[in-house]
Amino acid sequence: METTDRTELSISRAAEQPSGAVAIKNVRSEFRSKAEANKIKKVKAAEKSYGRGRKIDVKNVKDKKLKRNLTNLEEKYQTATLKAKEAEILLENAGGFLEAEHELERTYKVRQEDIVSEVNIEVAQKKFDLKLDQLGPYICDFSRNGRDLILAGKKGHVATMDWREGKLGCELQLGETIRDVKWLHNNQYFAVAQKKYTYIYDSQGVELHCLRKHVEVSHLEFLPYHFLLATLGTNGQLKYQDTSTGQIVTEIATKLGTPVSMTQNPWNAILHVGHQNGTVTLWSPNSSEPLVKLLAHRGPVRSMAVDREGRYMVTTGQDCKMAVWDIRMFKEVNNYFTRAPASSVAISDTGLTAVGWGTRTTVWKGLFSKEKPVQEKVQSPYMTWGGEGKRVERVRWCPFDDVLGVGHSEGFSSLIIPGAGEANFDALEVNPYETKKQRQEGEVKQLLNKLAPEMIALDPNFIGNLDLRSAKQREADKDLDAGPPDLEEEMRNRARGKNSALKKYLRKQKKKNIIDEKRLKAEEMYKQMQEKNGERHKEKVAELGPTLARFAKKE
Amino acid sequence: MPGRQAHGRSLMPKAGGGRPKHRVNKQNADKKSRNTVLDAFAIAAEQVPQRKAKGVRTRDLDEPEERPQKRSRDDDDEDDEDEDEDDFEEARPQKKAKNSDDFEGFSDGAEESDGEEWHVGVGADDEDSELDSDEAFGESDEEKFDGYAFSGSSAKKGKKAKKGGDDSDEEEEEGDEDDDMESLGSDAIDLATALDQFEESDEEEEQGEEGSGSDDDADSESSESEDSDDDIEDPSKLDNLQKMISGFAGDDEEEESGSKPTNKLSLSDLGLFGVQDPHMKKSLKLMNKEEKSAKPGQSKKLDIPLAKRQQDKILRAAAYEKTSETLERWIDTVKHNRRADHLVFPLAQNAQDAGLDSQELLPVTKATAGTELEQTILAIMEESGLGPTNKPKKEDQDNVEEIAARKGLSAAEMQELTRQKRRERELFSREQARQKRIKKIKSKAYRRIHRKELLHDEQEMHDAMVEAGEIDSEEEREALDRRRALERVGTRHRESKWAKLGKKAGRAVWDDNFRAGLTEAARQKEELRRRIEGRKKGEDSDDSGSDDFSGESGDEQNDKKRLLQQLEHAAAYADGEPESALMQMKFMQRGEAQKRKENEEMIAQIRRDLDSDYDSDGPEETDIGRRQFGMGKKELTLPGQQAAAEKKQKKEKKNITDDMSNLQVTPQQAAATQVVDNSLAASVAGAWSKAPQEGRKSSKKAVKASVGELDLSNAAMLASKPKPKSKDASKSKDTSTKTAAAVVDDSSSDDEETIHLPLAIRDQELIKRAFAGEDVVGDFNREKAEVEKEDDDKEIDNTLPGWGGWVGEGISNREKKRHTGRFVTKVEGVKKEKRRDFKLKGVIIKEGRVKKNDQYLATQLPHPFESQAQYERSLRIPVGPEWTTKETFQDATKPRVILKQGIIAPMSKPII
Repeated sequence: METTDRTELSISRAAEQPSGAVAIKNVRSEFRSKAEANKIKKVKAAEKSYGRGRKIDVKNVKDKKLKRNLTNLEEKYQTATLKAKEAEILLENAGGFLEAEHELERTYKVRQEDIVSEVNIEVAQKKFDLKLDQLGPYICDFSRNGRDLILAGKKGHVATMDWREGKLGCELQLGETIRDVKWLHNNQYFAVAQKKYTYIYDSQGVELHCLRKHVEVSHLEFLPYHFLLATLGTNGQLKYQDTSTGQIVTEIATKLGTPVSMTQNPWNAILHVGHQNGTVTLWSPNSSEPLVKLLAHRGPVRSMAVDREGRYMVTTGQDCKMAVWDIRMFKEVNNYFTRAPASSVAISDTGLTAVGWGTRTTVWKGLFSKEKPVQEKVQSPYMTWGGEGKRVERVRWCPFDDVLGVGHSEGFSSLIIPGAGEANFDALEVNPYETKKQRQEGEVKQLLNKLAPEMIALDPNFIGNLDLRSAKQREADKDLDAGPPDLEEEMRNRARGKNSALKKYLRKQKKKNIIDEKRLKAEEMYKQMQEKNGERHKEKVAELGPTLARFAKKE
Repeated sequence: MPGRQAHGRSLMPKAGGGRPKHRVNKQNADKKSRNTVLDAFAIAAEQVPQRKAKGVRTRDLDEPEERPQKRSRDDDDEDDEDEDEDDFEEARPQKKAKNSDDFEGFSDGAEESDGEEWHVGVGADDEDSELDSDEAFGESDEEKFDGYAFSGSSAKKGKKAKKGGDDSDEEEEEGDEDDDMESLGSDAIDLATALDQFEESDEEEEQGEEGSGSDDDADSESSESEDSDDDIEDPSKLDNLQKMISGFAGDDEEEESGSKPTNKLSLSDLGLFGVQDPHMKKSLKLMNKEEKSAKPGQSKKLDIPLAKRQQDKILRAAAYEKTSETLERWIDTVKHNRRADHLVFPLAQNAQDAGLDSQELLPVTKATAGTELEQTILAIMEESGLGPTNKPKKEDQDNVEEIAARKGLSAAEMQELTRQKRRERELFSREQARQKRIKKIKSKAYRRIHRKELLHDEQEMHDAMVEAGEIDSEEEREALDRRRALERVGTRHRESKWAKLGKKAGRAVWDDNFRAGLTEAARQKEELRRRIEGRKKGEDSDDSGSDDFSGESGDEQNDKKRLLQQLEHAAAYADGEPESALMQMKFMQRGEAQKRKENEEMIAQIRRDLDSDYDSDGPEETDIGRRQFGMGKKELTLPGQQAAAEKKQKKEKKNITDDMSNLQVTPQQAAATQVVDNSLAASVAGAWSKAPQEGRKSSKKAVKASVGELDLSNAAMLASKPKPKSKDASKSKDTSTKTAAAVVDDSSSDDEETIHLPLAIRDQELIKRAFAGEDVVGDFNREKAEVEKEDDDKEIDNTLPGWGGWVGEGISNREKKRHTGRFVTKVEGVKKEKRRDFKLKGVIIKEGRVKKNDQYLATQLPHPFESQAQYERSLRIPVGPEWTTKETFQDATKPRVILKQGIIAPMSKPII
């Protein structure tokens, strides 16, 4: 009834043709009530940010029960997405970027000093420089919650610190070349790739492990959800070691010479390795060949970074180029020039890309955006820093903060880059303000939720999906090298009910007059069993005494 | 006594047979039946000898024949049901009557309860109770329907009498006659007595009321027809009559027929002859009456009963119907519960507070205090004077009354007075609140917003004055300000240390100097004040007549205004209120009105000011930020291309300077330096690879490359300034944007440009040369081709040399050829076109599966799902708390069955 009323109304509203006909653009959308339209809008917005794929078409389902279940499921999904969208109200912190007031102003002209003079003292303190010019170019790494910083000088100096407090955790003088350094799952352990082996130290600087199998490692990566420490040696060996059990999971030879760079895709835990010949290979511990190989540059791939959603990768090459890749489609999105080969790239949580080249660091904004259908080419950077003769070795973003750490030849600089950090953290996931107790509990939880290395694949959502191989293919894929099943094992283990597999076998064989090895074995086993039972019976009889002996059960 | 009809089920089969039975009877008006009746008569007479000669209990004998007959006629279930329902309807009211009946104790109690069970529950024990109910019938019916029966019979007779004598069916009629003859007289008497009895006992009154409708009708009819009681009956008429009666009295017929077969035990059978109990006697009387009233003639027409098995079968069918009906009521509930996501036990419907509104907290009173705890708490509260009783209020009232009494006012007057006071108080507070609000608006936001405007105005005025020559310059103004400040800070004013000290010491009395200072200070103050005022005046005259700013200009004025406001507010809402004596005076009212007006004005003014403020913000905003002069403005007017060109120029300059720095800082990277122009880079591309590109380059790119080459060849030209412009003009816009991408900062001069542009090109050259040796792209393409080939379908030749043919020397080529490819197996792979990287350049994606991942795949489609998409979709949304909101997570992990504390009782009624 209602609908008809509404149609009449809208018809009266719409401009009538001379013939009396009414032109309506879209019947569905035009006759919608305001509330309905709002609801649809809401659902759409929620689907956009929290939706998980297309709905199932329930109309064609014949089974009533299944149909009902699926409909309920879809309803649940929709409420879940709506609620997730509604829960955004709880994300009380909003991030923001530097913005130019008019078109002649450029954000990249804003110096660090300008920012420091404008911001409050708490933030201003985050801008600092450490002058460490003795022990070579420094590399840096932030722990997962962004609280701790580790600095490693090429010539053997390692220091960890709570950088906000300015508290030094530990300081080591190793006296040998350090190639890479990496925090493990929390701020209690870190791995250092030294001249020959890789070592694991605890927060106090005590050497816990010497990983002798990881020789001459040049790059380290840690997969926090799988507890895997991945090392890439100068010989091109990629090794995965489980840091919770200590086992080496896989050793893979990349076979492409000395690798130049390595990074991980935080979305699917795939490792990206950059090679001398300009190719980038994607590795999982489950296959001995690269899953994907792509030609990114003409010269060596100096560094790579992947955004946290695993959609885009930024690579820089010796050929003075910076390429943005869509790594789900494996297509190059854009190509930029750098004035010197960039030595390090990092992508922040909000999608800012820091590129360290020569003595400068440039921060780009909007190199990629998942919302845009076509990625546009950015014309000018967001911010810049440097040009003071400090050769940039590594740039790393501090999680949950607007801070970029730059390790360079003369120490370490922490820069304030507005809008770089994720404003709202999920304390269930990573808590920047965690207490000791929380850290400990979090560690246990992490271990309980640890993922198996076999779960690493290009599409991490494959788990539980349907195996689409044909039966024939599956048969063919079976392991043909496996030996025949052991007879004894089989017979011993298969005892269902009173009739054991052994008895059944013998009973069936009695009729046949074939004596083979199997039967002989079975008979022998039977004999042994009988003897054992007889002994047991005797024991029982002795136990019960002469009068009660008749009640002893014979098996 | 209609209550006796409660045996819905058991009655049913008989009821169905009621009508057809008569027809049969008419057709075979047999002697047999008559005989039986007579026999019954005789026997009955024997059995109850001492009481009445009429107390024949024909049914006692008829019963065995009668009952089966009915069964046989009962084949159609629909009939059964119909009547069944009727029974239901009647059963309820009757039940009450029954309960108060004395008969119950006597013989029928168990049976009746049986009958009740039929209605409420499921007739599972149908067959068991069958006999009982049948037996019960006679008695109960008699009790209940004596009225009907009586009226029925009498009515028939009356009609028959009118019709005149009819000799057909003599025998039957004879029987009837006999019966009638005897029963009629007795009946008439009996009814009267029965009625009397009803009146006598309260309990029976009740019954009488309930069954009154039918009873009374029957009575009246009977009384009318009684006089003209003739004996001849027409069978067809009789039938009609019965129908009519049934119309009057509902199920009369059924009852009649149903009552006949009952095999009733008489008291004598039980061996109880001398019944002493008056109640018993009464009921016995009734019983006997009924027996008489029933027509024995009908009982003659009974057929042979059905076999027991058949009876049972019919009964079972009926019972099944009934059972399934009752069970059907549960189907929806069961379905609902089966489909429910969550079930909570114990059930809500069994909860103690079911049906109560748990949303609202009600005060606990003595009446509502249910539990012991509540009662004790209430008691304690009462003890401590916190209970729900309204003592204090009473006191209040008392107080008021006392006062009123003292003043000599009536209660009404007093009430009026208090009401007025209350109203005034309320008004006052309301006004206060309003005033506060206005003040707040004025004090905070208003001032803040107006500060800017004030400054602006001041500036304007100053400018005007400067123009007019009143104030010469900025310096003078500053000087003035300074002087004023000095005056304030200076020692000679009232609040200064000097003044305070002097006051303390009383210097004014004896120190002339001090006195002079004081006068000087006073003079200065006066002067200052005048100056301030004078200034204000100027402002006022400047502003076009509005007192926009006067409101907050001087403190005194402000204060005054506030006072006014307060006064005004006090009566702002006085409309329609009873006014005090003072307020009723004219001048007060006038003042009041004025003040109100002022207040309103002020509010309006504030609003206006605010509005104007917002308006004035608009144009101001345009002034924010840097102004554009000269070039900037021109740029805006210029077409985009030219602007881009200019930008480009600048950028190139920048690049060059940076180059310089790069080179200086990193001389070791001479091999790999910097790219300046995209066009150049494009031209360089040729150097990356000499391998065939499979037509990868689009025409656009080709154009670019050519341009680049042109640039390269004209490297010398690049040095000159106008060159990039021309290039831009020729090229598309995106090249310019691409060059822009390389920009970092601009700090170079035009002089540098001429020196460094060639350097950039040289760098380009260097880069080109540096990577020229490696054919990276070619290598990659070759590798891809190899992989494609490897993964493609393959044919494996399994032919063994020497198997089925000769090998070795001297075998002709033809022979060799014949033996190759005899046993070929084909291994299926991935065709080139089907590769995932088929259309992707520079990408090799590994085909085939990763075996280790297979263990996490489902080997087959799980049962309820029909397609892969459905199944995988059902896994799509994660359950964990990390990915969903708390609510969703809890919903998703809520167990299906939730047990709460309490006793889990079965469902008492269907939910739906």
